[in-house]
Amino acid sequence: MNAVGLHRKLEENAGLLIFGILFVSAIGGLVQVLPSVMQESLVAPDVGRAPYGPLELTGRDIYIREGCSTCHSQQVRPLLAEIKRYGPYSRAGESAYDRPFLWGSKRTGPDLHRVGGRYTDLWHRLHLLDPRSVVPNSIMPAYPWLGERPAGAAGDIQAKMRALKLLGHPYTEEQIAGAPEALAGMMEVDALVAYLQVLGVAPGGTP
Amino acid sequence: MKAPITMPAAILRKGIPVAELPGDFWTGWIATLTVASLAGLGWLIYSVYFSADTHAEQDSPVWDGELREGEHPAPIWWFWLIFGSLVISVLYLMLYPGLGSHAGALRWSQGGELERSIGAFDNEFGRARRLVAEANIEELSQDRALMASAQRVYDRNCAVCHGYDAKGLTPYFPDLTDDTWQWGGGAEQIEHSIRYGRHAVMVGWLQVVGEDGVDQLADYTLALSRGAAEGHAGRTAWLQFCAACHGPDGTGNPLLGAPNLTHDVYLYGRDIDAIRHSIAVGRNGQMPAFGERLDDTQIRLLVALLTSLSDRSRQGLPASDTLPDPRSDDADHAT
Repeated sequence: MNAVGLHRKLEENAGLLIFGILFVSAIGGLVQVLPSVMQESLVAPDVGRAPYGPLELTGRDIYIREGCSTCHSQQVRPLLAEIKRYGPYSRAGESAYDRPFLWGSKRTGPDLHRVGGRYTDLWHRLHLLDPRSVVPNSIMPAYPWLGERPAGAAGDIQAKMRALKLLGHPYTEEQIAGAPEALAGMMEVDALVAYLQVLGVAPGGTP
Repeated sequence: MKAPITMPAAILRKGIPVAELPGDFWTGWIATLTVASLAGLGWLIYSVYFSADTHAEQDSPVWDGELREGEHPAPIWWFWLIFGSLVISVLYLMLYPGLGSHAGALRWSQGGELERSIGAFDNEFGRARRLVAEANIEELSQDRALMASAQRVYDRNCAVCHGYDAKGLTPYFPDLTDDTWQWGGGAEQIEHSIRYGRHAVMVGWLQVVGEDGVDQLADYTLALSRGAAEGHAGRTAWLQFCAACHGPDGTGNPLLGAPNLTHDVYLYGRDIDAIRHSIAVGRNGQMPAFGERLDDTQIRLLVALLTSLSDRSRQGLPASDTLPDPRSDDADHAT
């Protein structure tokens, strides 16, 4: 049989055509995606890396809600200019507890993967509420409402942690039970700052 | 002297490659599917052009007297285009990594590429950078080109808090152009502040001294800053609670980051309310550590820049005079 005959057969048999389309479009994923997902070294968390605590997790969701990843990437590429500007390049194991990952694809503002510890909490707070108060020529929008809303109201933290536990994040029942307490008295800006301060930093150590 | 780029080099040494190649099973999987896809594509394109049923046209029904369905392949240049792409794909897979764990004839890798560029950078700038890292601070601060470099390091790392003009931001981030240094303004102390950061803790005294005590101490402190504390009733409480850090005479202690309170430079403001707040609730000043983010050369440049700013202020000269405008300067120094 030649390709023209095959084509004719596919054209005359809708079931076969559907199967053929699915098969051909699956090849790319089977070659590129499946082996990466199955490769332990690419999906296992880095040594010493723990899942986000309740406050950081809430901050991460606020980061997503406010669309921070539209303008800020979280991936330092293995290029000289990038590691000199931002720090060590990002590794797969650092994103193991990021669901979904927030690597981003556009840098209107700087990359944030190594921002943890770079500025003080106070600076982040001033900068998030009113960026021009600390960086006069900044083009970042201001997020004043983050200082007015309690962090505990930004979604059911226990439900989020249980969902992530189902996906394999090692939260203990105690951690989940204590989560609302960790958010007590915190505003959204505190949660977001807490999240930014652990970005790219292994717990208890430098990046 | 460490290598200019310390952290990625450390990662490379630890043997964590940029991208890991897949294991045996997945290598076979990837290679089989890739080769089969390429072969299938080759068969498809060959078959369409060279074994098409050219008689099909004669069997086709005719509409409108002349329209009939044919099986003509696309023009032959189209064939060569796809054939050429196939050849390039095969060459690529032979030269570069792509077929599972096959590293490719050129042995190219992302990690190797990065190491090469770090090496090239070090070859070009390493010697000069080491010279700067070991140079005399005085000499560095006299070199306009190097100070332009230092200004760029400053703009990139320090300006967001301390301002592009280094004048700080009241009441949060200290002015770096005056000659008041909470942690000491010597080259070594400034270097320590940059490298390891600082954490100034002023505890709150409300629980200990009560409202009246806070009022009295605030009033004493204000008087101290005006040089009018002689014979003030707050002296006893000051000696008991404040003198341990700020000194009996209130001139502070740079080792503890306890500021001098006898002049008019107050980071958190020199009005009675701000002083009351400092005493009652306390303050918590932080400078992040930059020892992991900047290398020795960059830190040395910053120290030279900052000491020269401070020296000029002591001599009553404007800070900006020595410094070229960083945004109009395009001298190409690797910072």
